[in-house]
Amino acid sequence: MRSFAERPSSNRIQPQVSAFLPGILVHLSVTVLVALLWAVTASAQARATRVVIIKIDGLPYEMVERFEREHDPMTGRSLLPWFDNVFFKNGTRLTNFYVRGMSLSAPSWSTLDTGQHLQIKGNVEFDRDILRTYDYLNFIPFYFKQGTGSNVDMPGTEVLDSLGVPILIDAYDNYQRNTGSQLYGRGARMDTLRRAGQTKFLRNPKELAGEFLSGLDLRDVVPDELERELIESLSDQRVHYLDFYTTSFDHMAHHNNDRASHLAALREIDGLIGRIWTGIQKSQLGSETVLVVVSDHGFNTDERVISQGFNLVRLLGSSAGGGHHVITKRRLLMDYSLKSINPFVPPITTASSQSYYLQKQSAEYPTALLDFDGNERAGLHLRNSDLNLLHILLQQLQRKDLSPRLRRAATDAFFVAVARDKTRWQDELDQLDEELGALRRAIEKQRALCESQPKQFTVQDKEMGRDDNARRVCVLAAQWTAQQKAYRAYVATMRNLLSLRPESFDPFKLRIAEVIPEDSMGQRNSIHDLQNYVVGPAPAGLVLKSDGSLDLERSFLRVNYLTLIQEQTVRNNVQQGVTNRPVDFIATRIPRTALASVLSQDLQPDDDAVWLDGGPDRQALVLPRGEAQGQLRLRYLPIAHLTQDEQGAIHFDLAPWQQGLPLRLLDDPRLDVPLDARVAWLNEWHTDVEWLHAAHKTQYSNGLIGLHEQFTLFPTPGTDVKAAGLSDDERLLHRFKSRQRRLVETDMMIVANNHWNFDVRGFNPGGNHGAFFRISTHATLMFAGGEGTGVPRGLAVSEPYDSLSVTPTILALTGNLLPDNAPVDSLAKRGFTKFPGRVIQEVTSAAGSQPAQRQ
Amino acid sequence: MGAFFESMDGKTHRPTRRTGRTDTGRIALRFVSLLLASAFWCGQSAAQSTNQFGTKPPAPGKAAEIEQPTVVTATPASLINIGERLAIPSSTEATVPSTESEASSTPPTQFRIERLPMIGGAELLTIFGRLDGMRTNGLPAPEVPLVSVVRDTLSDNDPENDRLRYVWMLTYTQPTMLKRIASAIPFFYRHVGSKRQASSGPPAPLLDLSNTSRQTWNRFFWMGLQNVFLDSYGIPLKAASRSYRQNAADYRTAHATQALSILGNYENLRQRLRDESELLALNQGSASNQTSTRDEGLNDTMTPLLPERSPAFTPGEMLELRARLILSGKTFGGFLGPDKFNDTVEKGSAASVDTIGHNWEMLRQRAEAEGLYFQPLNMPDGRPTHVLLWLSKSDLATQSDRSFSKRFLNIANPWSDLRLRNWNGYAQAQYFDSDNRPTTADNPEARRLEMIPLALYGLDHPKIPALLIDFRDDLNPKGREVSRRVLNDLTKNIFSLSSFGNLPYFLGRNAYKFITGRRGIDLNQPSRLKSYSELKLLLSFNGSLDPRLQREIEQRLEIISVNPLNNDSQSEIQLARQQYDSLVDFARRPDGLSARIERDRRAEMVPLQHGSLSRFFINLGNIVSFGRYVHRERETPELLARLELARRTERHTNFLSRIAKSSPQTEVAWDMSTVKHSLQFLADQGADANGSAARATALIFQRTSDPEARRLCLDALSKINNKSAKKALISLYRQESSDSEWRLVIAEHLRKAVAEDIHMKPPEVRAVLSQVGAP
Repeated sequence: MRSFAERPSSNRIQPQVSAFLPGILVHLSVTVLVALLWAVTASAQARATRVVIIKIDGLPYEMVERFEREHDPMTGRSLLPWFDNVFFKNGTRLTNFYVRGMSLSAPSWSTLDTGQHLQIKGNVEFDRDILRTYDYLNFIPFYFKQGTGSNVDMPGTEVLDSLGVPILIDAYDNYQRNTGSQLYGRGARMDTLRRAGQTKFLRNPKELAGEFLSGLDLRDVVPDELERELIESLSDQRVHYLDFYTTSFDHMAHHNNDRASHLAALREIDGLIGRIWTGIQKSQLGSETVLVVVSDHGFNTDERVISQGFNLVRLLGSSAGGGHHVITKRRLLMDYSLKSINPFVPPITTASSQSYYLQKQSAEYPTALLDFDGNERAGLHLRNSDLNLLHILLQQLQRKDLSPRLRRAATDAFFVAVARDKTRWQDELDQLDEELGALRRAIEKQRALCESQPKQFTVQDKEMGRDDNARRVCVLAAQWTAQQKAYRAYVATMRNLLSLRPESFDPFKLRIAEVIPEDSMGQRNSIHDLQNYVVGPAPAGLVLKSDGSLDLERSFLRVNYLTLIQEQTVRNNVQQGVTNRPVDFIATRIPRTALASVLSQDLQPDDDAVWLDGGPDRQALVLPRGEAQGQLRLRYLPIAHLTQDEQGAIHFDLAPWQQGLPLRLLDDPRLDVPLDARVAWLNEWHTDVEWLHAAHKTQYSNGLIGLHEQFTLFPTPGTDVKAAGLSDDERLLHRFKSRQRRLVETDMMIVANNHWNFDVRGFNPGGNHGAFFRISTHATLMFAGGEGTGVPRGLAVSEPYDSLSVTPTILALTGNLLPDNAPVDSLAKRGFTKFPGRVIQEVTSAAGSQPAQRQ
Repeated sequence: MGAFFESMDGKTHRPTRRTGRTDTGRIALRFVSLLLASAFWCGQSAAQSTNQFGTKPPAPGKAAEIEQPTVVTATPASLINIGERLAIPSSTEATVPSTESEASSTPPTQFRIERLPMIGGAELLTIFGRLDGMRTNGLPAPEVPLVSVVRDTLSDNDPENDRLRYVWMLTYTQPTMLKRIASAIPFFYRHVGSKRQASSGPPAPLLDLSNTSRQTWNRFFWMGLQNVFLDSYGIPLKAASRSYRQNAADYRTAHATQALSILGNYENLRQRLRDESELLALNQGSASNQTSTRDEGLNDTMTPLLPERSPAFTPGEMLELRARLILSGKTFGGFLGPDKFNDTVEKGSAASVDTIGHNWEMLRQRAEAEGLYFQPLNMPDGRPTHVLLWLSKSDLATQSDRSFSKRFLNIANPWSDLRLRNWNGYAQAQYFDSDNRPTTADNPEARRLEMIPLALYGLDHPKIPALLIDFRDDLNPKGREVSRRVLNDLTKNIFSLSSFGNLPYFLGRNAYKFITGRRGIDLNQPSRLKSYSELKLLLSFNGSLDPRLQREIEQRLEIISVNPLNNDSQSEIQLARQQYDSLVDFARRPDGLSARIERDRRAEMVPLQHGSLSRFFINLGNIVSFGRYVHRERETPELLARLELARRTERHTNFLSRIAKSSPQTEVAWDMSTVKHSLQFLADQGADANGSAARATALIFQRTSDPEARRLCLDALSKINNKSAKKALISLYRQESSDSEWRLVIAEHLRKAVAEDIHMKPPEVRAVLSQVGAP
């Protein structure tokens, strides 16, 4: 607790008073005044003791507001009476709250739950080297592994733990929190499942029979139990953090675009809010409790339009698309396969019948990884183009009918290609080897630690979460072991490749699998690779140049994937307002170093840039500066015809501002910059907040900031190799974790046009999200609280904020945030670090709540 | 026993007494024949209503004069139904005048409602539809009566005691004898012409809304009779009776689907009008709100809610109609009460939108992948329910070696089909712009393509679109239509396999069902019927199709029809008009519909006079007499007053039950004036209310902090004063803290209730008073 003397206000008042009154009177007056001020300030110094968060997947703010305003003739109240009563009339809502980054659940919740920059970049991520899949949304394997004791936390939480990024629930001890089943959850509440079954089936037989007659609905069994337990926990004063996560609206809105379905789903949520709010009011901590409703993204749904899917898997598997065997983490619905009822969803390979050189080798050599989950965008990894070239050359060299000249030329070409990449590959393998050495030593320690963990736990231990902590130690040892094995296999194969020598080279004695790693994509493709991607041998086979060397241009089939994907059109275009071009633009990261020589000094970024490709004449670079210093500034640079040559040099034309550029900033009437000043304004560097103010109401809203967030590799405590006090092994392990994050980075992100999506798992005709459209990123954030919390009543905050603001604002409301956005010491000890987002001052300071002070 | 055989027209049919010894076999045979005849005669009606208009009233003497409903004065309404009652003028929403002569000068709206007040206190509401698909020779689209509903108002203006009685789908008719016979022929899966002339009597209703549980019992009774009795007389009788019953049930289901679809379209269009006006208002509101936000800071708590425009059917009535139509297709549907209506309609409608969207997208993607053209066909509310797939002749010429996957499309490879190369069937020129969007010939950038229709699919079908028309092979969809019937008829009628009695069959059948369902196969699916029925409706409503193509589709639909009871679309329009005329005539006759309603009221009075045991036997009599026997009370002013009160009590009870369950704090979710109105009613006149009313009232007491509402709750519980009410009062008393003033008030009410209950035994009185103490 701070003393009053620390307040600056007291220091200001005292001299003024003493100038007019005699000493004793002054003292008396000051004492009285101090007491009064203390009382007033203390009452205004509202601080919440307890936080209850209702996390709603995909709840669009505009829809909530619209239904809230509508009158229900049956009830005489709003269609959403609890939203109306709790938040619109008696709470605070943000009318312009946006996702920072992609409007996708796994990334977005990671920002909301941590208050830190984006580390998880998709609902599904693939490790390029070893094809490890991170499936952040699938609860069934999580529960199954819980049952077998092979995990403790959800996959997303495990990743964040490895990066040293704590989530909000970590601010509370195990017994202080009651958390729902969610993407970034800790521990599965298996008892809840049991109780849910009991509640559903062991009850009044008449009620059960009645429900059976009308159709037994099992979908809500677990959520209902979680809700019951949450409301029960409100009576436990030790519990200071509660949350409830629901995906019901998101699931429904993907399928249905009609008003009635949307309203029905929203009314269910409204009822949930009512029950929880009533429980809060009845609880002893009611006046000190803050209720927060937050969603991770909006929803692009329109009653007049059926959202159309474009099948990228089919495109990539076609001969025009390169004949790839494509791995996805979701089974394609087109199969309607009996296999697809497997709830564990192993990686699914869709074999291409039109592969140019890998026919019937889809199990060993998939060449594309596609994450289409998220729907309005897809992430695509392609196998490294040079690996394809080497693979094809080896296949050709293993042909017995190859002429000696061609064989010689092909062998030369093979070794030239190896040599070209050798330095880069060798460095990477050497580094990885070092890291795996450190990992091996860490595994040994972890196993020893695991062995020393207690096996029996008391009730108190369990309340403190010691049983879970002990299991985490052992689970981590097992996971590291599996990772080490997979990376070792990759390293060994790549070393075999690099160790080949022309003088001892005999392709007939070589097994391709020993030098070209199976189930691996290899290094990320450069832009040059993507523009000249090798998909197979030329139909006429290998071709020689006049000088006897292999003609690399004519010997291979190549595809420019940026052009190919960009130019896709469909023949069936039957809906008004939907274009026949499924792809809006493609985005990819360009290393800062590659741009250094082509950008003038005033345009030089200090971090990697994002290239937006909406066609040859519709391109842009998003250039960042100052992120590391906490003063991010961004610049949008219109360009055209960007290419990269074989040596890695980038070339492009600077383009004038024109209509139709990616994100359509110039064309959008809602850009908050006067028409005559737009070009000048757009040609300047602006902070992210300035961009947000100017553009948040445009069609792409905070897309510019989101793209930067998506493609930037932000450092974390767990990846920071320069952190003080690290041992050599710790430093190597930090580098390894950083590498793992880089390995999940896709070659390109494909962004869909309005009302298009890439979901071919189950179709999403109702609507989608994932892109940077305002309708997809415009999410819900509302606060309500008892009198002791100071949350303003009936307040609509129109100032735009994004998801980085949520966690610091909640910490500020609970008195856990210092003025400089750093956590209080107790949280710093738990791993929390300074928060980059703005605290929502309208919520925290309206009632005079003060930031915490450093102890 | 005389009353037992009293039929609807009041005539008494007494069984002929036989003397002497009779051959048991012959008796049994005759009884079977009688049952069979009954089955043929009233099998459908028994499934629909306990009391059909089986006995034909005299033919109409003169044409009916129908009150034009465009403006009907709003009646004063009690608080509970203000919104609903205001709806009535909005037969206005239907908007435009109704006579066909006017329709020729002013095009009628897509739907309108006509209201016919009846003597005796009821009204007939009829939804008319404009059938754009039936437009001929440049004449305006015909307007046809489609669905009629009778509302019993008890001759007053109080909506609280109104009750919907019957629903007619006017295209649904009693089959001719020829059709009945054909439908009883096993394995006879084809159309046998159409009925052209409706019977002169009133049409058979599709639903009797006041007797839904009895209809379900009737169905079970028939099922039992079939299994126990009819099935035991050899395969011919078994197969014939089962075939007939299946066809009759399918025929009825098809019309229920159409009625549901019409109501859904009507409601969606109404809702859309409302949405658009609200959206406009919302935008204006938002604009002003933004201004005020800027000027006055951010507090916007006083933003008013938007007003509601009223519908023709009250929301509750529309919900009941739709729910009952959905539930009529479910085994136990008739047993479910008003508390399930909302869920039923919400889930049914959401599932349908989901399925349609999914199939729309699947077909579009499959068409795209196979190089075909995709044309969705929409219902009047804009909902696509069917899709036509086309092939471009130019593509055919240039892509003859193109591969084709028939997965989900279920048609033969068009690229290698020689018939298409020499196609002399229907073809159409279509135009597309540079974005491949359909356009018209006058667009200068239009690209003309000569197109051949390949197939037509129904979208409202689980998993995959249902193939309904294959323009190259009529037997393809016919085979799919027939598949389920053949399988069922063979296993049940011939091999006598039952899922209940034969485990291997049960397992095999379910495994087959699972695999076909999982893999997405439209064979053997009962749900095909829905798509088929909706297509008939769509063809009537959708005016966008070329008439030649529409005729071709209709002809092919008749070919694939597997039900001899079906009629073609033209005949159905004719029948709808004839049946509507008959219905109007019946409604206008003193001994017609109003007499029927009056008899129904008398049947409704039974619970007011009889206890549960008597009612059990009365209901049993109804079931075993195939719905012929209906017990009725003699109407007296006193009983009529009690009926009126009972209806109001029921309505208020349902209303309060809904309130009680809906929200943990009543005043947040409900306008308390309407809640208090219902509580006041129970407090004043709730002496005959049941346990549900008491439980709901007690729950509301717990969930409100409004002192007036709480006091009314206690007054109501005192008034109800049955076992449940006293139990609720005791429970409330115990829950209140000892220093609560409400505890005293509850105790006072409880003592009053005990004092007024003359049926309470002294020990019970003592037990209660011992808890709350004497005054």
